[in-house]
Amino acid sequence: MTMTTRASECLMRMYTEDHHLEDYQGSIPRWCTGCGDNAILTAVQRLCRDEKLRPEKTVFVSGIGCSSRFPHYMKTYGFHGIHGRALPIAEGIRLARPDLHVFVNTGDGDCCSIGAAHWVHAIRYNMNLTVMVHDNHIYGLTKMQVSPTSPRGLRSKTTPHGADLEPLNPLSVTLGIQNVSFVAQAVDWIPELVYDIISRAFHHKGCSFVRIIQRCPEFLPELLAPWLSDPNRTLLLTHENGMRVSAALGKVYKNQREHDPSNIDHAREIASLKDLIPVGILYHNPAVPCYEDMRAIMPLRGPDLIQRGLEAEFDKFTIWPQEEAVRP
Amino acid sequence: MSVELQEHVAFYLTGRRMGGGLMAADGQHMRPGLLARFGDLTRLRYDFPLVLVGSRGDESEIRSLSALINGILQDIAPRGIEGEATRQHLLRLEREIRTLAANGDTGPLSGLWDLATQRIGAPDDSPLARSLGRARAALQVDGEVADCTDELPARVITHLWRALQRQKAGLFNQELRRLTARLADILQADFVRSRRGTSAARLRASVGTGMEGAFDFEALASTLQHVSGRDPLPDSRRQRVQRALSGLQARHYAQADAGGPDDIDSYVFANCRDALAAFRNRLPQIIELVNTMAIAELEIEGLYVEATHDPFFAGFDESSVGAKDLRLFPDYLVCTASEDLQGPENAGLMEILASDMPIRIVIQVSDILGEPALRAYRGPVAHAAQLGKMAMGLGNAYVLQSSSSHLYRARRRILSGLAHAGPALFSVFSGSQRGSRMLPPYLLAAAALESRAFPAFSYDPAAGPDWATRFALDGNPQPEADWPVHEFGYEDESRQSVTEQVAFTYVDFVACDPRQAKHFALVPRAEWNGSMVPAADSLTSDSLAVAAKVPYVQMVNGNHVLLRALVDEKLMLAAQRCQEMWHSLQELGGIRNSQAERLLARERKVWEEQRQRESAIPGRDARPPPPAPAATIAAAPPAQPVVAATEPDKPSDDPHIDTLRCTTCNECTNLNNRMFAYDANKQAYIADINAGTYRELVEAAEACQVSIIHPGKPRNPDEPGIAELLQRAEPFL
Repeated sequence: MTMTTRASECLMRMYTEDHHLEDYQGSIPRWCTGCGDNAILTAVQRLCRDEKLRPEKTVFVSGIGCSSRFPHYMKTYGFHGIHGRALPIAEGIRLARPDLHVFVNTGDGDCCSIGAAHWVHAIRYNMNLTVMVHDNHIYGLTKMQVSPTSPRGLRSKTTPHGADLEPLNPLSVTLGIQNVSFVAQAVDWIPELVYDIISRAFHHKGCSFVRIIQRCPEFLPELLAPWLSDPNRTLLLTHENGMRVSAALGKVYKNQREHDPSNIDHAREIASLKDLIPVGILYHNPAVPCYEDMRAIMPLRGPDLIQRGLEAEFDKFTIWPQEEAVRP
Repeated sequence: MSVELQEHVAFYLTGRRMGGGLMAADGQHMRPGLLARFGDLTRLRYDFPLVLVGSRGDESEIRSLSALINGILQDIAPRGIEGEATRQHLLRLEREIRTLAANGDTGPLSGLWDLATQRIGAPDDSPLARSLGRARAALQVDGEVADCTDELPARVITHLWRALQRQKAGLFNQELRRLTARLADILQADFVRSRRGTSAARLRASVGTGMEGAFDFEALASTLQHVSGRDPLPDSRRQRVQRALSGLQARHYAQADAGGPDDIDSYVFANCRDALAAFRNRLPQIIELVNTMAIAELEIEGLYVEATHDPFFAGFDESSVGAKDLRLFPDYLVCTASEDLQGPENAGLMEILASDMPIRIVIQVSDILGEPALRAYRGPVAHAAQLGKMAMGLGNAYVLQSSSSHLYRARRRILSGLAHAGPALFSVFSGSQRGSRMLPPYLLAAAALESRAFPAFSYDPAAGPDWATRFALDGNPQPEADWPVHEFGYEDESRQSVTEQVAFTYVDFVACDPRQAKHFALVPRAEWNGSMVPAADSLTSDSLAVAAKVPYVQMVNGNHVLLRALVDEKLMLAAQRCQEMWHSLQELGGIRNSQAERLLARERKVWEEQRQRESAIPGRDARPPPPAPAATIAAAPPAQPVVAATEPDKPSDDPHIDTLRCTTCNECTNLNNRMFAYDANKQAYIADINAGTYRELVEAAEACQVSIIHPGKPRNPDEPGIAELLQRAEPFL
């Protein structure tokens, strides 16, 4: 908690900083040509530009996988973490630096497999993070192994006879976790809505979970073709408190449904749809408290605190003369 | 007119008893009938005494003894008959503590608890002693016990004020620590990147003696100096950061040295003039510190721009410091009495209330009816009760008016006032009417509030933009009514129980004051007649001058005998003025608002006229639906999303891209980055159609993951393989 003076607040407003898209573009993406990650990257860079986020006040955290290369391509702070651990790292950053905008980019394997426990608890803790799950239904970086969201029967390096299990539904799981506060779904081939949904997620105070279904043209080029070729198989969720669809987009995607994002029961029903891919905000509850707000104010990590901590650690290895003296 | 009635009318008009039919009210220990049942307050479970707990600076700072006992009973006494004995034992203890407090015993609750246990004197092994022992063990909080006495208003508000100041001091010190740590980080970061910070000697010192042989510090220093940034902080910035740091550190340590209770006490004053003088003395230091903190904040955020900010800080003065800045520092508290508000003190009060200064003023009103200047003519009116209303007119100050009896209920609003960014006025009637100690302060304070003589209200300028959000009248009983009405039961001469609905009016409140006995004349029961009318009914009649019926109030004497007391005209006029003042407060609170009623009548008239005009048109529905209320509009289904006409677009002959749907997949730009390019949103468009061939257009359309590239018709019909290309382009047209 900061108690800025009125003068400093006023002067900070005087200082306006405009950024261009290029100011957020890091190194050149090494994703495959045609990869859906590109659409997400562009949408996020646009969001940063439009929200005037200061690069030094923004951090992207990722785990391992294709999507987790995301922080390299953003000219902000970034943390390319270890497999499945993007969320706890982001939570740590959130606690230590509440002044930063924290984004998490994770994949279906990273989040829903090795990082599943962290995913559940991140939703429960509801810390102020914008979480994007890039779901391409496959482990792409390691050249095609099944992920938890791979469709049943998918032949891969690890399932040469076809995947045995039904895929996990990240939306249904998230909507079943206590303290869930924001769940949305986007598809990379509608970039307009990718932007809008991530923007809404960014403005939500709490853990906003956005699953972005994306194409993997390298290993699963045909998996989502039916949905790309037939816009009616995509269900746009609209509501005055959710998404609004532009006229141009409405011309292409005519299959729309009014859905109140405050209704979690309907959200669960929509999340369970099989043939249609719902796109929009499934659930939004701004009243769920954030974990960082519920905790006592963190002690400032100044020299005093560091010294006390170090001394406490060193004391563990200290041999006290008086103890020696009283020892029989 | 009968002789009795003549006598009654004469008293009403002159205030003098003529003839022998009426008795003087002096020395009769009279009290209003509705207060008859409150003889011994120690036997009554109510909000008092209070326990002033030291906690988190919120509502739990003040607890009611009864609420505390209820909480303990919930913890230790089982529901039903099993817990009944424990409940009785603990209620007995509560009564004993209440008696001690009423007798003037002071101290912490734990002390009074032990004293009360001692006085009950239960044998060690008795069920009573066991119950009390368990309850004592379950008592989680402690604090000074405060009964409803003369000192209560200042005591309660000071207690809450202290708690907030402690909290504020903690946050302020924390803020100073944060700023100093962050500024030190800036200097430290600059140092560790510098040549000196990366020198071999410093690197060696940072590793310590245990492992120094394991490193080649010269090589390490050389490497670090090669890769470290070469842009040190500009001198001007370093000096500014150092100045800010030393300024904040000096303040930090000064604050730490003077953070004790004595320091807080130096902000408490007995009059407005001293508080104003102290505020002005400290203002230069505050300006300097706010200046330093603002510079520090800008430096920490990396937003200090010398061209913009240097001139601003060069002219930083009193006008640059606003109410929000002042909230960082301790508030000032003035505890004074309404009698002292004369001459310069009154001017000081007005100056504070009209300013932005964080000064909280507690005005204890001890005597509403004893102001000689006003008592000399027009009968008793409550001038002190108007202080709050006058302060509201200044617009900037938080105002709370209440009486001691309701302070516990008003604690949330007191805290809001103490936290207000600007001045605050707490005008509280203590119930200690000097020279009229017929009733305990609690009863007198409650009577003042009930009778609208000292109504409760609050005005919070920060709550919203209009009166509806700023002003609250809900602390009063039955705020919609002129006077609160209560059930009054008694036995008549034939021992039959009688129940009436009786209003508690301003006249009843005045009847509590023995000094005002001259305004009343007692009528023996045998002489009651139909020409007497309750004072509340008389106040609702059109003209008080018509004395066809004489107003009275019901009173009981020291022997609990019910009497009627006639009221003279002077007092009735004062009651009427009190009623008018209450009406004006009601209007502010949105009750029977005359402006709104006038507007409503006008709208209704317009609507009626329109309805009549429309009904005169043949074939037209005579009853058009009235305007839907807001709730109905809100419940209507939201409009469907706007979708453009569904008519399919005709294929265009010109090549184009649906740029808005581009997913930035690089397929087209990799194919020909002169023909295809990205716009400011990094979405593809055809930058130069002449920069490539029709074949490339068709190939890009085929490669596009989301099929948004439309090749159109070829510009060069002689391009090789054009027939095949046209066939391939067909699906994308």
